[in-house]
Amino acid sequence: MKISLKHIFIFLGSFLFVLNASAQKRFTISGYLNDKSTGESLIGATIKVNELKTGTATNSYGYYSLSLPQGNYTLVFSYLGFKTLSVPIILDKNTIINQKMEVQINESKEVVITGEREDKNVKSTGMSRMEITGQQVKNLPVIFGEPDVLKAITLLPGIKSGGEGSTGFYVRGGGPDQNLILMDEAVVYNPSHLFGFLSVFNTDAVKNIDVIKGGMPANYGGRLSSILNVNLREGNNQKYVVNGGVGLIASRLSAEGPIQKGRSSFLVAARRTYVDVLARPFLSDNLKGNSYYFYDINLKMNFNLGQKDKLFFSGYFGRDILNYQSPTNSSFHFDLGWGNSTATLRWNHVFNSKLFCNTSAVYNRYDLYNNLTAGSFGFNIRSGIQDWNVKNDYTWFINDKHQAKFGLNYTFHTFTPGILTGQASSIILDQEISKQYAHELAVYAMDEWRINQRFNLNAGLRAVFYDMVGPYTKKQYNADNLPTGVETSWKTNESIAFYPRLEPRAALTYLINEQSSVKASFTQTYQFIHLATTSGASFPVDLWVPSSQKVKPQLAYQYALGYFRNFDNNKWETSVEVYYKPMYNQIEFKPFSRLFFNQNLEEEMVFGQGLSYGLELFVKKKVGRTTGWIGYTLSKTTRQFDELNGGQAYFFRYDRTHDISVVISHTFNKKWSMNFVFVYGTGNAVTLPIARYAYRVGYNVEQNKPELTFIDVYGKINDYRLPAYHRADISFTYVANKTDKWESNWNFSIYNIYNRANPYFIYFLPDIDKLEVKAYMVYLFPILPSVAWNFKF
Amino acid sequence: MKHILYILSILIITLSACEKEIEVDLPPSTPQLVVEASVNTYSPWLNYVFISNTIDYFKPDLSFNGVKGATVYITPGKIINNDTLFDKANRYTFADLSNLGNIPGLDSIGKSISGMYLNPLFRATANTSYLLEISLADGRVIAARTHIPPIVSIDSMKVRYDGIGETGKKNAYLSFWFNDGPEQNNYRMALRNNPDSVLFGWGNADSYRTFDDEFVNNGVIPLEFLRPFEGGDTLNIYFTSIGRKEFRFWQSFGRAANNGGPFATPGNVKSNIDGVIGSFTGYAVYFKRIIFDE
Repeated sequence: MKISLKHIFIFLGSFLFVLNASAQKRFTISGYLNDKSTGESLIGATIKVNELKTGTATNSYGYYSLSLPQGNYTLVFSYLGFKTLSVPIILDKNTIINQKMEVQINESKEVVITGEREDKNVKSTGMSRMEITGQQVKNLPVIFGEPDVLKAITLLPGIKSGGEGSTGFYVRGGGPDQNLILMDEAVVYNPSHLFGFLSVFNTDAVKNIDVIKGGMPANYGGRLSSILNVNLREGNNQKYVVNGGVGLIASRLSAEGPIQKGRSSFLVAARRTYVDVLARPFLSDNLKGNSYYFYDINLKMNFNLGQKDKLFFSGYFGRDILNYQSPTNSSFHFDLGWGNSTATLRWNHVFNSKLFCNTSAVYNRYDLYNNLTAGSFGFNIRSGIQDWNVKNDYTWFINDKHQAKFGLNYTFHTFTPGILTGQASSIILDQEISKQYAHELAVYAMDEWRINQRFNLNAGLRAVFYDMVGPYTKKQYNADNLPTGVETSWKTNESIAFYPRLEPRAALTYLINEQSSVKASFTQTYQFIHLATTSGASFPVDLWVPSSQKVKPQLAYQYALGYFRNFDNNKWETSVEVYYKPMYNQIEFKPFSRLFFNQNLEEEMVFGQGLSYGLELFVKKKVGRTTGWIGYTLSKTTRQFDELNGGQAYFFRYDRTHDISVVISHTFNKKWSMNFVFVYGTGNAVTLPIARYAYRVGYNVEQNKPELTFIDVYGKINDYRLPAYHRADISFTYVANKTDKWESNWNFSIYNIYNRANPYFIYFLPDIDKLEVKAYMVYLFPILPSVAWNFKF
Repeated sequence: MKHILYILSILIITLSACEKEIEVDLPPSTPQLVVEASVNTYSPWLNYVFISNTIDYFKPDLSFNGVKGATVYITPGKIINNDTLFDKANRYTFADLSNLGNIPGLDSIGKSISGMYLNPLFRATANTSYLLEISLADGRVIAARTHIPPIVSIDSMKVRYDGIGETGKKNAYLSFWFNDGPEQNNYRMALRNNPDSVLFGWGNADSYRTFDDEFVNNGVIPLEFLRPFEGGDTLNIYFTSIGRKEFRFWQSFGRAANNGGPFATPGNVKSNIDGVIGSFTGYAVYFKRIIFDE
């Protein structure tokens, strides 16, 4: 049956009608919760009604709404790290309470872990979901004095790091391109700076980070494995504040303050590395023409337009720039630059106390350029991806049993695989691989239904309509990878490959008692755009490619089951989760594929499937002088492609049988605090050569010896395990000054305390004299102390 | 603060990746047959069939693991009614070097090396197909075909002298142009700098380039050497045209030969001889020698 838009709207309409029919006439309390000192909205703060033992939490914009029968109540507003407020009300009409909350001044404030609802872990339908704050990321031990969001999230169970020198992360057996990385709702296609050593997120501007690795609600989609939602701060609307930090390789500076006190604010944050500047005096003349640096800028503005409307603007611009000048050939010069740009315009509108609406218009772009001049040759190659995106999301606070969300999300993708312009002697080069365009429209509806005191259900459906459209010209190639001269062309907006897909989602919670619950979830996800990479890690030249006639959308199902238990008045959270996740239409590239400027890229692809399953244990202590967590994952991840490894399944490169992370924070006194991290992971699975042979043989007649080039023969894919990865880091934070006007602290970190040599890669070298081939392991970071200085005034 | 930054910046600069030798246990592998066969229009030293076996990766042996006792024939094809026929009457026997008598110019070659099959009397021509047949002592039979395309010549050359190199000689930058025809063409170029003897085996050259006419078809293709040669150098250029399957092999070979580091992609070469690793390549050679100004 062909599913049309009409069918979907009929479905959604009837779904909402059923919900509405069950709604009763009551009064509503609604409003925003904000931090009194800065005006920042508080996400996930709780509002409890003492008399009814019911309550709610603020949404990701800090808005809440509660429907209650007429009566006298005491509302309790609470948010970890803030003073709990009790507000008595007489409810005889719809009431708006915009509550400002005050920071609780005590020693444990420095190590606030999250702003979660105390028992949200147990009671909400959300599972496989983690939150972490910008402040917490800053407190962790760091390398080179640079706190990093993506490094921090890999300390959570089920989220694995690709290792040092990689910001790619792997969620429940998924690849790095299967994570939707959002910065204030804008997609970030390449989250790394410095070839993957650092991420694009400036921690001075980050408010909180939300990771969904399973049980994905219907309002999220677009990627198979996870959603990483990075929310940036709005800026202080009460007073002007300057934040800064000086690290070993980069410095950060941000300024924020009211545009109109209490009503609007701005935030500007910038960062730049200065290794190039520092290194310049030490470089020999030969290397003076070479440099590498990156910078990024965040800009955010926030306007309160009365009780019902809020307007936000968020922008990001970042660039990595590498210059190379050949020391031996003055005419050889090479520039490589890449980066993301995003802009988000967001409007929150409260239609009435029960209906909240967010509308966002987003532009994002990732691009790469490469200029090369050599003698009479000059080339410029550009590639990238660009999206225009509109979102319209509604939250309908129907009654205390139902909260519905529905909306749509439309994206227009433009893929630029490669544009080559230049001159070679007298020849003008002007080649372009045909651009590709695609529409992606998603409509969704979901209901968070409190069935009774024990059962909560979140059920939803997301319908996605993907259409790759013209203008597009496809060159036909033969088996020898040669163009046949035949071309197929599509006109503007003519459909090339249309994929309508349904994604049902469900999550059920059964409350055993106030402290414990069992949760189960099912998620079906499709992914229509794919990263073309052969390295398994994210790299600046990697291309994003659309689903087409040949490239089918990726598909994953995920089944998860968990037991959640809190102890000691919610001070301790524990959980056990198991998951099973088959993945289909997975993409790999044939060995030695050329990805860059390849007219026939689809011919290099092979298609297969993946499977991941595992067990995740999590213990977390949320309050007190000592906080932190221990996460353990036991898992297995494989891939199977008919055309690879003789059709046999093989381990995913980042398959990690055991993965442990320990994070401990301790506050000694007002001046000193400590953070400790330990990680352990089974070594990556790699393919190693099993044999070799001499080829391109020649005979040097004068020297009377053969000239041989040795070539490796590779065996089964990912059949060898690198040694395990483990490491411990520690950091101490010393608050040097803390007054209302001036605050500064020093962060002293030691990375890799016991100097573990963790494998980065293995290579082999023949020793001609001894007639031997030796194996060498390269490791990146030995024990490495660093210091960073942060200030605020 | 400045002082700290200064010390720290030194620390970063001196920081580099470290490495250590490790033991890697690899299971023993089954030997696979490797064939490198070349026929060409220019030199009898570049007509050969080298047969060897793969060896275990860590076996302490860096020699050519030749296979002796094979019977090797190469037969030129004739086109009759659009079919290429290989007549046994025209075939040439390629004999193991260690079994050949003295060949002028090859006297000094160690006769102890096995697996190198030659026939000094064989000559190949452009626009001709060739059939390779190998019968091994253990009874295995291998057959492969190649076609030598037309010769493409270098139209013009230019040398730009710019500056003095590290050895105190002139930097000589070479560029040349050739006319690529309307058909699809594949090129492989070998360079030999300051040759002191004949080029015996393509592996005796100093550097190689394998490319096709993907970006400029049916036009003038320029080639420029980014690294300078030295004034006084003699450069032999073997500019060859090869077939598509042969090109695909040498392209994958180039990637396999320069494969290492963290982003190495493990892969095996695209052989164009069924059942073995390797290629039978027919080369249409255009030869050019340049002597750079002192």
